[in-house]
Formats: sequence, structure tokens, C-alpha cells
Amino acid sequence: MRREGRVFLWLGGAIVAMLLLVALLAPLISPFDPRAIAGPSLAAPSTAHWLGTNDAGQDILSQLIWGTRSSAVVAVLAAGLAVGLGVAVGATAGLLGGWADLLAMRVVDVFLAVPALPLLILVAALAGPSRSTVILVIGMTGWPPVARVVRSQTLTLAGRGYVAAARGFGSGWLYVIRRHLVPTLAPLAVANFVYWAATAVVLQAGLAFLGLVDPTEVSWGSVLNRALAHQGIYFSEVWLWWVLPAGLAVTVAAFGLALLGVGLEPRANPRWRRA
Amino acid sequence: MPPRSELTHGALLPDQPQPAAGETAEAVTRPRRWRGTLASYVIVVFFLLTLNFFLPRAMPGEPIAGLLDAGSATYVSEDTTRAAVERYYGLDRPLADQYADYVGGLARGDLGTSIHYNVPVSRVIGDRIGWTLLLVGTALAFATALGMLGGVLSGWRRGRPLDRGLLGVFLAIDTFPVFFVASAAAYVLSVKLGWFPLSGARTPFSDTYGPLRQVADVAYHLALPATVLALQFLTYQFLVMRSSMVGELGSDYLLLGRAKGLSDRVLKYRYAARNALLPSVTVAGLQMGFAVTAAIFVESVFAYPGLGRLMFESVGERDYPTMQGCFLVLTLIVISANLVADLAYRRLDPRISR
Repeated sequence: MRREGRVFLWLGGAIVAMLLLVALLAPLISPFDPRAIAGPSLAAPSTAHWLGTNDAGQDILSQLIWGTRSSAVVAVLAAGLAVGLGVAVGATAGLLGGWADLLAMRVVDVFLAVPALPLLILVAALAGPSRSTVILVIGMTGWPPVARVVRSQTLTLAGRGYVAAARGFGSGWLYVIRRHLVPTLAPLAVANFVYWAATAVVLQAGLAFLGLVDPTEVSWGSVLNRALAHQGIYFSEVWLWWVLPAGLAVTVAAFGLALLGVGLEPRANPRWRRA
Repeated sequence: MPPRSELTHGALLPDQPQPAAGETAEAVTRPRRWRGTLASYVIVVFFLLTLNFFLPRAMPGEPIAGLLDAGSATYVSEDTTRAAVERYYGLDRPLADQYADYVGGLARGDLGTSIHYNVPVSRVIGDRIGWTLLLVGTALAFATALGMLGGVLSGWRRGRPLDRGLLGVFLAIDTFPVFFVASAAAYVLSVKLGWFPLSGARTPFSDTYGPLRQVADVAYHLALPATVLALQFLTYQFLVMRSSMVGELGSDYLLLGRAKGLSDRVLKYRYAARNALLPSVTVAGLQMGFAVTAAIFVESVFAYPGLGRLMFESVGERDYPTMQGCFLVLTLIVISANLVADLAYRRLDPRISR
């Protein structure tokens, strides 16, 4: 498993790094302005337009390249929000214990029982599906499971002998947090971050797919949404270069992040680390 | 997909690839008292109702902004008319009264009036809910059967080529987003190959058919959406069954069975699989949450006339009462399924039911 884990880590890391590079270099490598009318409507792939054009004559490849940027931003911010909040709440609950812990965990329980997607749809529809709303709602649905895992990790840590020893030698909580808690939680936070980044990419595309997307934004989801809203999308070859590449882009991103997550698992999972 | 997250956040099953594990299994096996369980579900339902009430009111703008603002089909600019509409919906009254009205209405099954259909939301939902339950039920049954079978085969041969192969296949299935799979299935299987109908739940005017032909017609329309949906829960069911099966491998009763000269088949299916079955039963119930959310995508792609499709349509039509009704009903379905799973587990596990 150890060697396989490394393969997953490298493969996933390579995919994610490549996508990040595309996102970063979008203005340089994108052949056209993704919003400009760059050619005839619904043109088939050609040397000028590698993936053809959409109904408005916009270059699909350019839209996907710029869409990488949108996905990367949403993934990083939404996952950051989910993990940040989760770690803050979980670690606080674990350290304080008592009423704060009880209250936090009941809130987490309630949140976990509510299915995320209908809630996301409702909030995005009511608040207007801007990118910041999407980031915010994904982050808000993501923190409870993180908080729970972080709390249980914190609790086991607080019961360890070396923490008691450190406390006995007169170290303050700040020292314990810096010296013991942060190193314990860091791998867990990283693994959760990767997992929520993957979820955010798929969720953002899914919400856009359902029509919950800022129409002025260029993202993989908006490409999918526009394509599937097109009359007769299934009855011409257009599907092959309009829907398929966008769907694959989402899949590859999710796949890369999932591999990265599997590769990180041995480092993040306390049960595996002990073994 | 959120779906995935709902199931996998947590789940510290051995060999489970997701990070952040430990919780689902614990939540599933943690013995809690009946009353405590029920009370926690009541709290969740209360929370939901309140959330559903406050969400539109907490958003920027008024609750009826979507109805009256520029950009909607029923745009109203005059202040007096706006005030009249507000009064009509009771929005000028104190919040506490509104809340009491809302809860009282719900108790009578009143979910408000659909803006698009101009009939009670409860009637619109009533017309659609059967299709969703049919779709989700079929998919869940199919996925559970196939996932369990795969899990038994894989777990019994842990680490062998068969196990690795199955694990790879199931994990690969899991990476594809459901909306993409649905769209691809519609394009390839329905349009290119013409094996399945592209949309709808029945052939138009099929009520003139004989009863048998009607059933066949419904099944024919159900096949593709249900299969696509089933692919979404297959992997988790497989992983749970597999790890549960692996847990049985070293058991004394298997050793004894082998010593008695029982065949591998009997040991595998009648002994180990039967003992490993328990978590799968619970998982099937918990997967309802995943199922109704994935159904929103699948129904949208295949224009399947269920609740998910209704919610999708009401987003496009800015039909907020319908959207909220769908949210409430879908969520209640999920929560009741979780409760049933919770209680069923108690009955099924002799160690808990005593």
C-alpha cells in the first residue's frame, strides 16, 4: 500500500498541478477571449477552434481554459472556508469541552442530517447565484463533518500522556496548541481540504448545470448549462465537443483531487499512521 | 458531489479512500436510546422548518423580491401595489405571527400556492412524489444488490486480482459527476443507439394501453434514469460490504466451517456474507440522502417528472413556494429514511436489541 500510495500522490498531484498551471496561465494559453464572438456559430472542431464554437460563436476551448480558473478559485476558497471553520469549531469544542462542546456537536449533528444539495439550491436561488454565494454556501455545508473529525482528534490528543506531561511542566495552552495540536491536525486539515476542493468543483458545476450560475461568468458549469439548454443538443454532433469536454474537465479535476486525497490518506489518517 | 460528501465525510472503513474518517461507522454502531434518537430527529425537523421559514426572510431584499422585482414575469413597480401584495402574503404582520401561521399551515399540509402552476404546492408535489420514490427506490434496490454482491466477491478475495480489479472499477465509477454520466448516457444510449427513451416517465397517451403494456412502458422509461442513479451509490455500498466482509475473514466460525468440510460457496454466502450484511442495510437507508440529491440531476436530464425535476424547474421559473416545498419534502424524505435505518439497525442487530 505504501508504494501505491505514493503513485496516487504523484499522479493526483501532477493532475492538480497541471490544472492549476492552466488556471494561472489562462490569459497566455487561451487562443481567444472566452466571451468574444470568435467564429461562426456551432462550428465543428478545426485547427482554428480545437473544440469548435458554441451557439454564440465563442471558442469552447478558451471557455474551458478560463473555466479552470473559476473552478480553482471556487475550490480553494470554498475548501478553505469549510476546513477553516471546521478546524476552528472542532478544535475549540475539543479543547474547551463542557457546554461549548455539547452545543457545537449538536449543531454539527443537525447540519449533518440536512441533505446538502437541496439546501444549496434553495440558498443559491434565493440569494442569487453569484460566485461568492456559491463559495459561501459550499463552505457553510462543508464545515460540520470537518469539525467533528477535528474535535475527536483534539480530544484524543488532550488525553495523551505527553500533553499532560507538558502541562505538568507548566506549559500554557498556547504552547500545547503550537507544539502538539497544530502538528497533529495539519495532515488531517490538508486531507480534508483536498476532499472539499474536489467536492466544491463538482458542486459548483452541478449548481451551474441546474441553472444556478452567474450568466456573465465563464466556468465549466456555465458551459455545460448553456450547452444543455440548447435546443436539440442531443440531436446533433455538437454534444461531442460542447458537453463532453466540459464534463471531462470536471471529472479529471475531481479525479486528480481524489487521487491526491487517497495518496495523502496514510499521512492524514491516525489509524494508518499508527500501523 | 455533495452526494458523495454526505456519505463519505466520516466513513473510516478500512481501505476507504476518503480522508476524514471515523464518523459514519461510529454513528451507525453507536447504541443510543430510542427516546434520544427520536428526540434528536424531532430537533432536526424543527430546525428544518425554521430554516425554511427564515431563509427567504434573511436574504437580501424582501421575501417577495423575486416575484415583484425587475426581471421577473410579474414585475410590479408601484409602491401601493407592492404593499398590497405584501399584505396578501401576510408579510406586514409580526414575524412571530407569520411563523405561527406557517407552522399551523404545515400541520394542515398547506405549503402555499405555486406561482407558476397557480395551484397549491402540496398538490403539485403530490403529483410528482410517486415518480421520485419509484426512481429512487428502484435505483437503491439495484445498487444495493449489485454493490453487495461485488463487495462479497471482493472482500472474500481480498488483495487478489479480482479484488483489485473490482475496487478499481467501482472507484472509477465514483469519480464521474452524476450530471455528466446522465448526459452521456442520454446521448449515447438514448439518441445514438436508440435503446432507451430520451425523456419522460411514460409514452404520451399510454393510458389507452392495457395494464400490462402500461407497466412495461413505465419500466422501459425507468430503466436508464434508474441505472444512472444506481451508479451513484454502488461504490459506497460496495466499499461497506467489502470491508465488512474482510472483517469476517479471520473468524472462528469460518475456520470451524472449513474444518467441517463446508464448501467455499456455502462459507462465503451463507456464513460470512450473512454476518457481514448488517452495515449494508443501514447504509441503504442512509443513502436516501444521497439518492434524492442525485435524483435532482438525473430527473433534470431525463425530464423525469419527479420532485427533483420540479425543484429544478421551479428554480428556472423563480417559483419560490414550490422550491421551498420541494426542499422541505425532499429533506423530510431523507430524514425519515435515516430514522428508519436507525431503528431498523436496532431491530436487526441482536447485540443492540438484546
